Amino acid sequence: MFKLFFQKEKKVEKLIYAYLENFNLSCEAFQKAIFSCINDPYCEEFNFLKNQTHKYESKADDIKNELNNLMYGKILIPDSREDIMRLILALDKIPGIMETVLSMIKYQHLLLPNHMIPDLRDLIDASMKACRIIPLQVNCLVKKEKGIREFMKQVDQKESYCDHIEKKLIKSVFNSDMDPFLKLQLRDLILKLGDISDQADRVSKRMNILALKRQV
Amino acid sequence: MVSLLGGIFMGWALGANDASNVFGTAVGARMMKFWTAAILAAFFVLLGSVISGQAGIETLQGLTTFELSQAVIASVAAALAVSIMTLAGWPVSTSQAVVGAIIGVGIMNHQLNISGLGKVAACWFTTPIGGALIAFALYKVCAFFYNRVKMSLFTSDRLMKIGFVIFGSYGAYALGANNVANVTAVFVGAGKLTVFQAALIGGASIALGILTFSRHVMETVGNKLVKLDPFSALMVSISLGLTIHIYTLIGVPVSSSQAIIGGLLGIGIIKGTNTVSRATLRGIFLAWFLTPVIACALALTLFFITHLEYVGP
Repeated sequence: MFKLFFQKEKKVEKLIYAYLENFNLSCEAFQKAIFSCINDPYCEEFNFLKNQTHKYESKADDIKNELNNLMYGKILIPDSREDIMRLILALDKIPGIMETVLSMIKYQHLLLPNHMIPDLRDLIDASMKACRIIPLQVNCLVKKEKGIREFMKQVDQKESYCDHIEKKLIKSVFNSDMDPFLKLQLRDLILKLGDISDQADRVSKRMNILALKRQV
Repeated sequence: MVSLLGGIFMGWALGANDASNVFGTAVGARMMKFWTAAILAAFFVLLGSVISGQAGIETLQGLTTFELSQAVIASVAAALAVSIMTLAGWPVSTSQAVVGAIIGVGIMNHQLNISGLGKVAACWFTTPIGGALIAFALYKVCAFFYNRVKMSLFTSDRLMKIGFVIFGSYGAYALGANNVANVTAVFVGAGKLTVFQAALIGGASIALGILTFSRHVMETVGNKLVKLDPFSALMVSISLGLTIHIYTLIGVPVSSSQAIIGGLLGIGIIKGTNTVSRATLRGIFLAWFLTPVIACALALTLFFITHLEYVGP
């Protein structure tokens, strides 16, 4: 009988899971796009996958807005409402960063130097692994399951590893004899790529705090 | 009927003020719409007054035997004391105001039930302590289960919302049952009303106060309490209902404000947070002392004025 009274809450729950599914898809599209670009910077696949990433990013915005509207309609108790909104807003920054990275490559006609490719692959791989942990952590938070702290540790490790590669890459860029303008372009790209795991780490830590807050 | 206006005014003021203790948290935190809370509170206050209000009425009217004019004096003195304290911005206990006024009239009347008075005064001190103990124990027990039960965020939220409705209604029922005596007991003592009539009229006037003038107070009190997390707020709400209900069973009208402050202190002990500041506590203790004293003094003054006789030269 209570289901009749809590239809909107059910909708919020569905939207959260829809958002997470879309988040996973955008990570997948981003990873494929950037790897296709590493292999062949002017390939058709890159453009297609870049558009796909953009599509998922837009869909994430739509879901976020729908969630916002429902929340402002006073769904859930204020604490939960605020926690969920802040979490989704923080999480939503990641697809935004991914889209920016792809745009930088496309519109600045960036060519990734061969000697940097293994490290760049590593950086992207580790960042995406960190991102894929986030939906699992959100699921734990929503369902009040154990493992949030363990997931946080995993994301933290990935983020530290990404920081390490990021520094290594920047060092290698500035140690090379490439064009100084390209050096700056590459530095920006590397920093932006590093932002993905940084943001994932922030979201993960926020979730740990929310889980602790929910313990009475 | 005109003589009852003092009591009805008292009931109205009580409803306008004390409903905030019951549903303030839920409304202030926007977990419940004001009108839902007001209608629930009004309905359950009336129900509580009629079904369980007799014991408190009998205790208060047993403190002294009044004539109608004395009952009116007690009512007006109590209402004035409440108004003065409210204007001064201090927490008000209508129970203490009424008892103080009854004492004042009783002194002038040379009819005072000291043992009954002792029972009432003892309960004033034990209300916040009882509220704190109940809130403390409730929190510990419920938190033990809440932390161990695997419950999704949404289920937990639903339970919290349902809890606020159920225990808010229970608190309103207990408030009506307990506080109706403050409103109309003096008229029973004066033989103007039967216990049932007093419960009905008192309950209706409290309900009227809730429906017409409780919005502002409810939202203000609620916003002050929102510092608490929803679970703690729910525990305070349950402890308020339980505390008042226990005193209703004993047959002593107590202050819902004191009960809720007790509940907050109980949670504050667990959380280690400043849910109630020292300045607030000082104000409460001062008000506990001043409310009955002012009401008593006003009753004495009114009694004296109304009994002045012109003596010719």
